[in-house]
Amino acid sequence: MILTILKKDLKLYFSDKKGVLLTFLMPILLITLFAFAFGGTKGTSKSKPIELLVADIDNTSDSKSVLANLDSLSGITLIPKEVNEASDLVLKGKYVAVLIFDKGFQDSIIAGKSLPMELKYDAAREIEMGMLQGVLMQELMGAVGKKMIKSRMTSYFDTNYSAMNPAIRTKIFDDMDSDKVGVGSSMNSGMDLKMTSVIKEDSKKGNLGLIQAVAGTAIMMLLFSIAAIGGGLLDEKEAGTLKRLLYSPLKPTDILFGKMATAIIISILQLVVMFVYSWVVFDLPIFIDIPSLILMILATAFAVSSFGMFLVAIAKSRQQLQGLSTIIIMMMSAIGGSMIPLFIMPVFMQKIAVVSVNYWGIQGFYDIFWRGLPLVDILPKMGVLIFIGLTMSLISMRLFKKNLLRLV
Amino acid sequence: MIQVNNLSKSFDDIKAVKDISFTINRGEVFGFLGPNGAGKSTTLNMMSTIVNGDNGTIFIDGYDLSNHQNVCKQLIGVVPQEISLYDEFTAYQNLQFWGSLYKVPKTELKNKISEILKLIGLYDRKDDLIKTYSGGMKRRINIASALLHNPKVLFMDEPTVGVDPQSRNRIFEIVEALNKQGITIVYTTHYMEEVERLCNRIAIIDDGKIIAQGTKSELQKQSGVKEMVEICFKQISEKQLDGLRENLKLNIIKNENCLAIECDANKELSKIITASNSLDLEIVDLELKKANLEAVFLNLTGKQLRD
Repeated sequence: MILTILKKDLKLYFSDKKGVLLTFLMPILLITLFAFAFGGTKGTSKSKPIELLVADIDNTSDSKSVLANLDSLSGITLIPKEVNEASDLVLKGKYVAVLIFDKGFQDSIIAGKSLPMELKYDAAREIEMGMLQGVLMQELMGAVGKKMIKSRMTSYFDTNYSAMNPAIRTKIFDDMDSDKVGVGSSMNSGMDLKMTSVIKEDSKKGNLGLIQAVAGTAIMMLLFSIAAIGGGLLDEKEAGTLKRLLYSPLKPTDILFGKMATAIIISILQLVVMFVYSWVVFDLPIFIDIPSLILMILATAFAVSSFGMFLVAIAKSRQQLQGLSTIIIMMMSAIGGSMIPLFIMPVFMQKIAVVSVNYWGIQGFYDIFWRGLPLVDILPKMGVLIFIGLTMSLISMRLFKKNLLRLV
Repeated sequence: MIQVNNLSKSFDDIKAVKDISFTINRGEVFGFLGPNGAGKSTTLNMMSTIVNGDNGTIFIDGYDLSNHQNVCKQLIGVVPQEISLYDEFTAYQNLQFWGSLYKVPKTELKNKISEILKLIGLYDRKDDLIKTYSGGMKRRINIASALLHNPKVLFMDEPTVGVDPQSRNRIFEIVEALNKQGITIVYTTHYMEEVERLCNRIAIIDDGKIIAQGTKSELQKQSGVKEMVEICFKQISEKQLDGLRENLKLNIIKNENCLAIECDANKELSKIITASNSLDLEIVDLELKKANLEAVFLNLTGKQLRD
């Protein structure tokens, strides 16, 4: 008897293609995404080199030589920029850091003094920064450290052993280069790379983790809510009220836009409630830039609502919508940084993230709460969200006529 | 009021409506009678603007539907087969919403809602949620929702599906009341008794084609179906049968001790009984077989309406 029940249930289960898809495809997709996100892919595929801005104010043979050494590394690509422009680009999140060699870099090497060099970085790109720091320290210390020690020893020999045979002096320096004297590990003594976050830790600004949690979760949940609201159209189709709406003088697009307007209003309300809650409970500084926040909420609400409508327009029934929206929203959220912060993902995953609505929304909120950028610098991200919204609306309109209006 | 010429509609390879033409006069109740899948709803959907025909023309109150869709939408009200209401709204809220789509001014709409709720006998329940209504009550609100903008024509697509006999009667009364107010009604159904009770003229539709149309008596004539009296005797001899034939002058078919007599029962029944008595025939059973639409449909299509 149990076997009979088992057979029947398995037969029923496998006849539900959407159910099977959700059971197997969904976890496979998510595992793949998370594996990429955490860098757990097989093989030894090389990741793209990190782009590091450099501002060589010293502009001497020594500073150029150190930069040439760095540029020869496969993990780093150097991009020379003027210091202010470079700092601005890092502040806007375009590059991870800028390495600055200040005036007196060469003189300090010769004098064996502390070096006037600084690494200004974007703390929102923690993983890239960690990788960069490791490579940078090793190379800088190797190249600059030897120069400094040689310089100090030359000065010492000149003062105390001026009569030393030049051949012996050369032999000592050669052995140093091949590290036979074992100074490699101590070469960095007295050498510091000043690390400065371009975004000043400020009590008025938000905490990076909190911003990630609020913006990431808010946008993901918003997508689910909007898919559910849009699903009301499919319910209306099944209940027959959509047909009755079409008997009336309403145009089909009126129905779609009416539903979309509802979705936008609910989205705005949902985002406002989430931000106010985060302000009250977690001290998220929502009043830091009210105009930017309002515009960002509007742009996000529009993009997310249009995307929700797109999901509704491609589905033919409520059941289909549930399956589709779960898969697509989870994927978008995973790629776009709602589920895993983008800054801990490999660089190539960060590049893929731009296809997701979540990415543009989260980055926009980062710009407001973390980077503290002026409105003019956030406008491009809002523009992308509006573009996504318009594109999705146009596609939805076409699909709406094709799928939803096939009533008989 | 409505003029349909050579209307056709196909869905992929299925020809749902095949070159049909008919006229519906102002103020009449016009019935579309046919089995499920005959093409009634598709025809209604084309007349109510939500499906475009492949060929043919539809004129409503003189307006060509293909060129004056918005005008036609204001002229018609549609009662769909499904109960198309919002369960979470009250009856009043539903009516207010559906009325507002036709831009009926607020005060006028308020008065109209009250008037219609009284007509359908649900004024006292106007503030109850639709989900608390019985099936029959929902059907009545479904009808009311189509009347708020004072349509000249009301399309009713099987408005009594799934309702109890009492509610069905109530709906019939509503239809009759609306018709008395001057509204032209187009009524689709596969229930003969509804058409017989409500409709002035009828179109019988089957397999996408109108196979006959006219008043009930015109359809009877077209189909050749006549009323019959079926009478059975304890015993009947050939002599007695000849006597009856001579006396009644009617078409009589004998089957053992029973006779099927084609006649107008109202006029001839008493004459048949008197003649039988005069010939000492003992009647054991008597049945009146009316020439109803069921028989007409059977005769015209060769199949039962509910096949």
